[in-house]
Amino acid sequence: MKIKFGLISADSHAQLDRDAFTSRMSKEKWGERIPEVVEVKDERSKQTVERWRVSGRVIGSYVANCPAVMNDRKVKYYPQRWEEVPAKVYEPLARAKALDEDGVDGEVLFPNTPVQNFGFMQAKDPEFELACVRAYNSALAEWREKSDRFVPLALIPYLGGIETAVAEVERAAKIGHRGVTLLCEPSTLVPTLPHINDPYWYPLWEACQAADFPAHLHESGGLASAISFPRWDGFTPNQAHSALTVPTGAFPAEFIPNLIFSGILERFPGLKWVSAETGLGWVNYVIEGCDHEWERRRLWNHGVPTRPSELFRRQIYVNFWFEKVGIAQRDKISPDNIMWESDYPHTASTYPESWKVIEETLDGVSAEEKRKILCDNAKRVYHLE
Amino acid sequence: MNDGKEKIGMISVDDHAQEPANLWTDRLSKNRWGERIPHIERRPDGTERWLVDDRAPELGGVASAAALMDDRNTEPQRWTEVPRAVYDPTERLKAMDADGIDCSVLYPTISGVGGEVLGRIADPELELACVRAYNDWLIDEWASASARFIPQCLVPLSSVHAAVKEIERAVRRGHRGVILPGIPMELRDVPHINGPEYDPLWAACQDLAVPICFHAGASAATQLKPYAGFSPAVASAFAALTRPASTIFVLVNFLLSRILFRFPELKVVFSESALGWGSYLLEYADYQFANDRIHLEGYPLKPSELFRRQCFVTGWYDRASLQEPGLVGIDNILWCANFPLATSTWPDSRKFVERSFAGLSDSARRKILWDNAAALYKIDAKKIG
Repeated sequence: MKIKFGLISADSHAQLDRDAFTSRMSKEKWGERIPEVVEVKDERSKQTVERWRVSGRVIGSYVANCPAVMNDRKVKYYPQRWEEVPAKVYEPLARAKALDEDGVDGEVLFPNTPVQNFGFMQAKDPEFELACVRAYNSALAEWREKSDRFVPLALIPYLGGIETAVAEVERAAKIGHRGVTLLCEPSTLVPTLPHINDPYWYPLWEACQAADFPAHLHESGGLASAISFPRWDGFTPNQAHSALTVPTGAFPAEFIPNLIFSGILERFPGLKWVSAETGLGWVNYVIEGCDHEWERRRLWNHGVPTRPSELFRRQIYVNFWFEKVGIAQRDKISPDNIMWESDYPHTASTYPESWKVIEETLDGVSAEEKRKILCDNAKRVYHLE
Repeated sequence: MNDGKEKIGMISVDDHAQEPANLWTDRLSKNRWGERIPHIERRPDGTERWLVDDRAPELGGVASAAALMDDRNTEPQRWTEVPRAVYDPTERLKAMDADGIDCSVLYPTISGVGGEVLGRIADPELELACVRAYNDWLIDEWASASARFIPQCLVPLSSVHAAVKEIERAVRRGHRGVILPGIPMELRDVPHINGPEYDPLWAACQDLAVPICFHAGASAATQLKPYAGFSPAVASAFAALTRPASTIFVLVNFLLSRILFRFPELKVVFSESALGWGSYLLEYADYQFANDRIHLEGYPLKPSELFRRQCFVTGWYDRASLQEPGLVGIDNILWCANFPLATSTWPDSRKFVERSFAGLSDSARRKILWDNAAALYKIDAKKIG
């Protein structure tokens, strides 16, 4: 990747084109189950709108999650028909121009509509899941063929056994992916799967370590179905959105201690983990809290030989976008473990004023640390030389 | 004892009294309630466990006493093994003396750290009888023994009317705080905690000037369960990390609930919250409330402003957050020893405080260790000698 601006987004969302699945999956075999954009009647507005449909399920209340690139940011509009979706969301070359406009060199790509919970396990059909995951990974890999400014992350199949997941990771590495994005705890969504700490998953960690594929946990990482505050009907949609998103830091604050105590980091010391769209503010809690419990209970005698803060520094990376407080405490985290993200094109995105936001959040940070956080750490983690 | 010159006194705002074997059997009618009265039973293997209305509270033993055990990763398995400082007020005062702690604000153990075990008792009359017995016992045995103990009452969850009556009775008897589980509606069929049905309860606390106290770990819905393959030591350490983090959900809900706007004098303590995530959470809440345009929907204060007006968080080992309290603010931080949990700073509290508070001004130290808690719980240094 050529570095012109000195800024890489470690978390953006790739909207695949509407034909991404139909052009790659067998119509004969999968028919109308193939993910595609179809016309449906909206229950509330009674209007004919367009939605993605996956194996008979209509997904979401929009056709693409991209409010940051719609005309008026203030009204937070989500497109209802595909023709409203700007090409700079789903067309790689148009999108590259949007990157230029925002002063961003490249972006690490997480999924967008219609992918839910980082996979296609919802239909409970291993063969269908694999066909969708492969189509997704192949389509996204083509972005990188068009421009090396795109750093794709692969999805994995969960239902077809660990060998199937390993084989897809190996295939993804060959076609240009630079990491995988995962559920924190797959068994919360697929109850037949073993817990993420179980040796069942070791071949996957082995394959990711061998490919130098960082494992990515994004926002709640699917944990919202396991832990949440009970919904209250008295909230307006805006308040309900805040109720859902503001506690996001609780997910890594509860899950990363599991990762640290799981033995996975010890067993696969070359495997990196990235917590995306969760900010930095929970990190001091996890580092200080895990160290405190480790000392108080002498956990080195109980299967956790390495000090948690050392494990964290060695193998865990965290992304941030708007925080000033988290940045003020960055020295406790280590500037080598922090990456910037734009979250393009979601509602929280810094686009199209990323540098303006950076000036505010990184005010007072030394030039060397800025370089690391904005660019060099991502270059190193994703091998973008 | 606190001369206010050389040594700053210490108020621990979160410790646990241990209910003795005869607390409820002595106070409840055997004829009426029989085996449903909370009591200790011997199991076939010779170990003992509590039974509360036929349920066994989730506790690794017959009491919670890890900080006093030779190995902090164990709990007493028979009542005869329980260290006296856990349940005997006179011995407790000696343990506090040994650790340099002047006053101790008390939470229960068997009743649930936030009263959630008693709150699950289906029969409202039995629930109320158990709650009243606890509240009376804490005054009769602990508060009467020394002004250094600060008692807080439990409330029956089955009816807000009964809760208000019990709060009024308990405060008359000397209780200085009101303990509530953050999610009463997960324990029994009662309205969502945000509902207007609870307003008389908030009003009673505001009028009587007693804080509402939410103890971390009282709400199962917000806490990841430990991996079944963890050793008991690691499982307990993991739970000690998910507990404080789960407060994030409870606090966010409370900031959104608008209860604090309706009751601007009400004070709310989030005990065993730890501090590490606080400032970030408030920064994110401010950011997201603005993003979701909630200020236009009847939220005249930013979440961080609301928090600083009415909320408190508690720390025991935290360092970074004391050095840079950010949006949490020194006035909203309380200190605790967490006695006698495994995570407790006891018997090294002075050492922990020295490490955590290094570089803090005397006035900041005094606020966190004494002034904030003294104002909240109306503790008069002259009366505790």
